[in-house]
Order: sequence, then structure tokens, then C-alpha cells
Amino acid sequence: MTAPPLVEQQDLAPGPRGGARRRPVARRRDHLVAWLLIAPALAYFLVFLLYPALSALYYSFTDWNLRSEASWVGLANYTDLLFDDVKYPHFWKSVGVTLQYTLLSVPMTLVAAMVQALLLNAIRRGSNLFRLLLFLPVVTAEAAVGAIWRWLYDPQYGLINSALGLFGIPGQNWLNTPELVIPALAFIATWQCGISMIIYLAGLKGIPGSIQEAAIIDGAGPWQRFWRVTFPMLRPTTFYLVVTGVIAALQVFGLVYVIFSGSGRSVTGGPEQSGLTYVLHLYLFAFRYDAMGAACAMSFILLVFIMIVTALQFRFLKREAA
Amino acid sequence: MSRGLVRGAVAALLAIGLTACGGGSGGGQGSDKELTFWMYQDRTPQAGQVIEKIRKDFEAANPGVTVKIVKIPKDDYNTKLGSAVASNSAPDAGILDQPLVSKFALDGTIKEVPAGLINEADYYKGALDTNRANGKLYGLPADQTCVALFYNKKLVPTPPKTWDELKQVAAQVHAADPNIAGMNVPKGDGYGGWMFPAIVHGAGGEMVDDAGKKVLFDQPPAVEALQLWVDLLKSSPRQITDSDKPFENGLAAMTITGPYDVPTIRADFPDLDFGVAPLPYKTEPAGNIGGEDSVVFSTSKNADLAWKWLVFLTNPQNNGQLADALGGFPVNVKAQVVAGGPEQAAFLEQLKVAHARPAVPQWIQINDEIIAPAIESALTGKATAQQALADAAAKTRTLLGWNS
Amino acid sequence: MTTGRKVSIYVALVLLAAVSVVPFLWMLATSFKHGPDIYTKVPNLLPVDRKTGEWAATLENYDYVLGVGGLGSAFVTSVWVCAILVPAKLLIDALAAYAFARIPFPGRDKLFVIMLAGMMVPTITLLVPRIHVTQALGMFDSGWGLIIPNVASVLDIFLLRQFFLSIPGELEEAALIDGAGRMQIFWRIVLPLSKPVLAVVTITSFLFHWNDLVWPLVVTNDPELYTLPLALQQLVASPDGGRAYYIMAGATLAVLPVIVVLLIFQRRILQGIAFTGLKG
Repeated sequence: MTAPPLVEQQDLAPGPRGGARRRPVARRRDHLVAWLLIAPALAYFLVFLLYPALSALYYSFTDWNLRSEASWVGLANYTDLLFDDVKYPHFWKSVGVTLQYTLLSVPMTLVAAMVQALLLNAIRRGSNLFRLLLFLPVVTAEAAVGAIWRWLYDPQYGLINSALGLFGIPGQNWLNTPELVIPALAFIATWQCGISMIIYLAGLKGIPGSIQEAAIIDGAGPWQRFWRVTFPMLRPTTFYLVVTGVIAALQVFGLVYVIFSGSGRSVTGGPEQSGLTYVLHLYLFAFRYDAMGAACAMSFILLVFIMIVTALQFRFLKREAA
Repeated sequence: MSRGLVRGAVAALLAIGLTACGGGSGGGQGSDKELTFWMYQDRTPQAGQVIEKIRKDFEAANPGVTVKIVKIPKDDYNTKLGSAVASNSAPDAGILDQPLVSKFALDGTIKEVPAGLINEADYYKGALDTNRANGKLYGLPADQTCVALFYNKKLVPTPPKTWDELKQVAAQVHAADPNIAGMNVPKGDGYGGWMFPAIVHGAGGEMVDDAGKKVLFDQPPAVEALQLWVDLLKSSPRQITDSDKPFENGLAAMTITGPYDVPTIRADFPDLDFGVAPLPYKTEPAGNIGGEDSVVFSTSKNADLAWKWLVFLTNPQNNGQLADALGGFPVNVKAQVVAGGPEQAAFLEQLKVAHARPAVPQWIQINDEIIAPAIESALTGKATAQQALADAAAKTRTLLGWNS
Repeated sequence: MTTGRKVSIYVALVLLAAVSVVPFLWMLATSFKHGPDIYTKVPNLLPVDRKTGEWAATLENYDYVLGVGGLGSAFVTSVWVCAILVPAKLLIDALAAYAFARIPFPGRDKLFVIMLAGMMVPTITLLVPRIHVTQALGMFDSGWGLIIPNVASVLDIFLLRQFFLSIPGELEEAALIDGAGRMQIFWRIVLPLSKPVLAVVTITSFLFHWNDLVWPLVVTNDPELYTLPLALQQLVASPDGGRAYYIMAGATLAVLPVIVVLLIFQRRILQGIAFTGLKG
């Protein structure tokens, strides 16, 4: 039983490997085709990602408030963010909040998605209906999700406390108790695991039935089949979901913004800044406290962090797969 | 193969090429007779009609002129405005948050009010002063507002006048029914930070002395004001007041809010028998001032027309209606206050003793990042009011470079 | 499979589905409730009067959001933006992903890694420079401004590439030997084999753009160009603190078409999976 390699290159090059004996002309033509295929995406990348990113990088070395000319300040934004706790009293707090959220929400989401996908894959009748129902939470606009959950978590009228009451569990003041804010947010993220569920489902459908049958003939039980066949076969899918999930969780913004915004609720990140995620903090400095330069610096600190984390994941998970 | 490829490539190029042609116009370019004005979204459908009528009247009085009003949710307004200014697509004129006027003025984003445009005596001084930076006038107020004490008449027959009475009433209400909070005590968030100075002024104190560059919110009046909130919390559990609209639902006997909440209460909670009274005070009646200012942006090509429009909004005929639509009170002394409910008297009383917020450019940041957390740490018992404010004041001094 | 296991699977699915769906039922019920009826001590999933407990459904909330709330015109904008954007984006991403997965050319993997890195910059800081670009291209405050700055996605290219890599190469190799061109292989072999992933990418990108708030907020000034999430945000961030019954009526209207799209694609995904031959 071998797991498929994580990223297996199956280049279909004309030439020895492609089988056909083509001349260099053909290969050059192939390069041209490749560039043409990539061209629109590449143009988009250059214009709407690379240029804005470089421009933000420049601004990260300046003092800039969107209105006046940016003035060069060197590394001051970076050093102030990391070391000046009067100017940026909640920078490290926001780092902690974000790490906590990521460590909680990513595993919760993946486990929920995997369980749902396995259950759906095991049935035939009604699977369409169940899949639709389980996918529903994803389709709602963030603004509405925030409004719905603020109500579900309401200490007086909320459905959650009512439901807990049925089991004799005392109601909580979810979004106003600092210790409960991150778990409450992670639960909303888990509720919205539908995309991961669909991707897992696609992965499950892709596992050749013959392998499962072979395992059954070998006398493997359902549990063993999961750990020895299904789970390893899903490893590329899990890898993709972990990598993208971590990147998304480290940048979580919309959810906290809508939960803790609204009239009469200045967006300062929940009780005692317990919901002040990194990007919400960044957003506040960019658009509320007039420090776009510092906000750009924050985004590059985050970028470096994300790249390190992602590189570690590639290395770690690649070794695992080998 | 090449045919398919070419087709794909052409399609893609076409898509990109077309876009270069189909452009739009930003801000107030194009016809020099079009004026773009940004404001917050309407509070009510009726408010929308009032503004629409004023717009049509202006167009009728100025033939050939079109006023285009863009309405934006208040929460997202500054984000959108910042982006627009950064990309040279700001409107001709628009509403601007009071604390932003001095900032925008100092970096040249907005124009100074032309000499002779208005007679300053026509405007309430407090409201007009929120438009000043370095002694010059950079905008016109559109409306003014303030907060006052709302009380549930069933639970609180006579509104408290002083802090001691307030604490007493709150305690009685909660003792009579433990499911009801005495008061919806503000929290340590941006909004609570905004209301806090009103209480401090009630004890004869100030947040800062911006002329003398002194931070004063670690002085006794501010500490006592915060202690008041801490004390009130004892008879006002957050488990009750953190629910949606606790005052309206009869779960909190008192709350502090502004006239903008009255229409909602009337519409959705017709059974609520409530009254409005001036804020309880310790040594002297006091309150804060809020509302909207309106400014003309430096990039406007129709500045004269824009100023004309702003004056039109604040003239005696229109300002009463407009202020009512915006949820506040007129800024023009000659404008008629739209007759409202019995609660109006309390607000007008309150406006007489209103104090503008500190004219420190970094005030929003200080409010959110330093004062609000200090309030919260005292309210949650993590620090005493004295400790919390002393710490916050020290940070503010360092941030502003005011070393005294 | 034993009956016992089957039953327990269905029980588990029903429980999970309930957690997913109950918030929607609450949303639906609230959208038909009359004002203060939403404040009941025990949350009620039916639109009933809070005092008498009698049935009291109303359509006034829908009336409000469609008229004053401006949801009607926002709906139209959102539909045409997504109708152009989603297919265009899918095509651009799939073409690029195919080249990255299958055609070797110098510098390919380096380029791919650079593009991946670009994906990790928090979009919120790219906002202002992107507006500069959009402005320079003359697309600010226009329909194109809602489409072109979103017309490719590195994340989707990554996902599609991963999937293309997992397709066994033999078929394509055979086609190459037979002298088929790249585009023929792409259209006739790769795309038909990739229906599941194409459906997934289509749905996720449709959902993202249908619900995206920040970009339409900053790139449009003309209220005619407001998209659904913007109109919804007007209800949520309304100065009176947001009235749950209006918000829920708006949210319900925004969700309905998505459910329709989902029902259509649901079958597509199934077909895709059934006909790909991936099941071996």
C-alpha cells in the first residue's frame, strides 16, 4: 500500500518522454503555447497582484495616511510595530488572537468536513439532499452570517443558550466573554466547512473502488480501511486544505468585522480585544487610525510569517508522504 | 490545434482590450454642472424623502445643475472615502466625521470656507467650532446631536438628577427584579469611549487641555466618572444588558443614547413607556456633542457650486428638516426645530451644556486603543479606575509627546 | 453494509444537517416576523406574535428591502457581474493551470512559486494600489471595474493544477503521439476529465463574488452599480443598529438564487464524477 506522491510531475513533453521524436522546433513551439496559455493569468498577476504588492511594500517604508504624500521612514514602521507598545499596544495581542483562532478553526473545520464527506460518501439515497443541506452555511453573505450568529449567540434571545438549556448547561454570554470569543468564532468557521467538505468528497470519489475492494478482501474493517486506504489516498487533498486553510485563517477578517461592527459598536475587536485578529488590527490602522504605511508593514510581517509556515508545511507534509 | 488556441487567445485579449475602452468617470469629472455629494445612508425612508426634496429644490433653484447624492453605510464610509481620496476620485463635497475635519484640513484634502460665504453668527457656536483647525473654518455643520438618559417610566417613575440618585435608582430596580438591569452601562469600546467625556464633564473635569498640552483624564473627575460606571455594573449584570436592545425590551431600566434611537423605539416598541432626561451629573450639568459636518474636497472642480449646496443644506428653510432627517437638531439658529415628542426638551437642554470632543488629530486612535481598553479593564475589575486611567494617561502622554 | 450501520450513518447526517440548517430556518422565520416579535424569551422558529403566540407572518420586510433597501437593483447588478466574471475567470485559470501542470518550459516552477507567494499578501493592503491601477485603466466606478480586477485567481490555478496533475498521463501521451495539439488535448481530454474540480471551482468562485463586499464597496461610487452584499451591508450597518427582520429578509433574498445555482450544479458535479472514469 503506497500513498501517491504529493506533487508528482507528469510533464508531457514532446521528445523522448512524450514518445514522439520531435525536433527542437516543436519544443520551442510548445513553449510558446505554454506562454500563451499563461498570458492572461500572468497579465492579471502582474497588474493586480505583483504591482500592488510592490507598491504596498514601498509604502511599508513610509509614513502615509492615504491623503498626503508618503514620506520615507526606513524601517521605523517595522521596528515600532515589533517593539513600541505605546504606538501599537495591541500588535502582539492580535498575533496571539490570530494564532489561537488558526490552531482552533483549521483542525475543527477539516475534521468536520472529513466526517461529513465520509458519511455522504457512504450513502446513496438522499445524498443529494444532505449534501445541499450541509453546504448551505457557505452560501450566505458574510454580512448576513454575522447578523445571524450575533442573534444565535445572544445571551437573552439566542438559540444556542436555549439549546444548551435543554441539556441543563447554563447559558453563556458568548461574544462578550473574552475567553469564549475565539471558540465562538471558530465554531462559525466550522459551521461553514462546506467547501472543504465538497473538496474531500471529490477526493473520495476519486479513490478507485478496486483499492477499497482489495482491502475488503484482505479482511480490513471499516476503521482500518479508513486509516490504511482512505486517509492516505486523501493526503493530497488534506494537504491542499491545510495549506489554504491556514493561509485563510491567518488572514481572517470579514467574520470578525461583521460580528463586532455595526452601529454603536465601534470596531475595536470585541471584549478586551479578544477578537482583534491580525488583519482586523491592520484594517483599523489602515482606514481608521490613518496609518496606511504601518498597515502595509503589518501585511509584510504577516506575509513573511505565512511563507515560513507554508514552507514548513510543504517540507513536513512532503516528508510524511514519501 | 492552432485554430482553437488562437480563438481562446483572441477571446482573452478581447476581454482585456474591451475593458480599456469601457471606462467610467470618477468623482465629479465630466459635465461641470454635476455635483457629487457623499453622505451616510438614510436613517429611515422618510429621511430619504426629505433629502430628495431638498436636492430637487436646489436643482430647481439652479437650472442646469444636477446633484448626485451617494449614500454609504456609516461603518464603511471612512474606508471608502480614504480609498477615493487616495485615488483622486473624491466627491465634490461630503459629510465628514467631526474628528476628521482637523486632520483633513491639515493635509490639504479639504478646502477652507471662502470668506464671506456665511455669517458665523447664524450658526450655533459649538457646532461650528467642530469645523475649525488652526483657527480657520474648513466646513459647515449639517446637524448636531447629543446623548441623554433614557428611562423606562414603569421602572423609574422619576429620573435621577445626580450620580447618587442614579446609583440608588439602579440598585432599587435590580433588587426588585433580578432579571432586570438597573442601567445599560456603556462598555469599554469605541462607543463607550465616546460617551465617557460627557460623564467626566459632569464632575467638572476635562479629558485633555489641548491648548496647554496636558492630559487630564487621570485626574479625580475622570476617575470618579469611571468609578460611577464600575459601581453601576453591580446592579446591571452584563448577561442581561449584552442582549439585543435591552432597554427597548424592558430588560434595562435606563440607558444613555441619542435622539436617533427615538424613531426606532416608537416604530418597533410602541408599548415602551419611556422618558428622556438630561444626563445625571456630579457637580454641574454637562454632555457631549456629536453630529455631522460637511466639507468641500480640494479636488472638486465645482467648488463654488459645492459651497452653495452646503449653504443651502444649512439655511433656515432646509436645516430643520435636514437635521431631523439626519437624526439630530439644526445648526442654524434661525432654523425651526421639527416638532417631535416630549423627549425633545431634554435634548435641547442637554445641547446647551455640550462640550466638543478634544481637537487632537490622533483622538480616534487614543479613544479606541488607549481609553476604551482602560475603561474595560476597570469595568471587568482587572484594575481600579485610578490605575487604569493613570496607565492610559501615561501612554497618551508618550504617544502625543506631551510630557507633563 | 449492515442495517445498523446504515441507520447510524443517517442519524449522524440528520444531526449534522440540523446544525447546518437551523440558523437558516431562524433566518427564514425572522424574515417573516413583524418587528418586536423577534424578541421572545424562547427563540421561535415560526413567525408568531410574541404575546398571543398566534400565527403572524408578514411580507412587509420584503417589501421594504426590495423598495427602500435597494435590493432589487443590486440583485440585477450581482447577476450580470457573476455571469461574466465566473466563466471568464474559470477559462483563464484553467488554461494557466494546464500549462503549469503539463507543459514544461524554462522557469515554469519558479514562476508558479512566485505567483503562489503573491497569493499570500493580505488583500486588504493591496486594496489601495489596486484602486490606483483600476483608476489608471479607466475602469473605476464602472462594471468592468467590478469584473477585470477579479478575473483570475492564483488559488484556483493552484487547485486546478493539483487536479490536472492527478489525472493519469497515459491518455494525453497517446494523444500527443497521435499528433494531437495541446489545445485539442486540453478541450477533449483534460477538461472532460476535470468536471468535478471545474464544478468546485465554479461554485466557490461564484460564491465568493456573489458575496464579496470589500471590493465593490471601494470601486463603485454609482449606487446603480451596488452589488447585493453592499445593499445587504446597508441594512446591517444601518444607523439604528440594524433591524434583524430586514436583514434576514435581505439575506433570504440573497441566498435563494445561490440555492438554485447549487441545485443545478449539484447534478453537474454528480455527472462529472460519474463520467470521468475516475472511479476506476
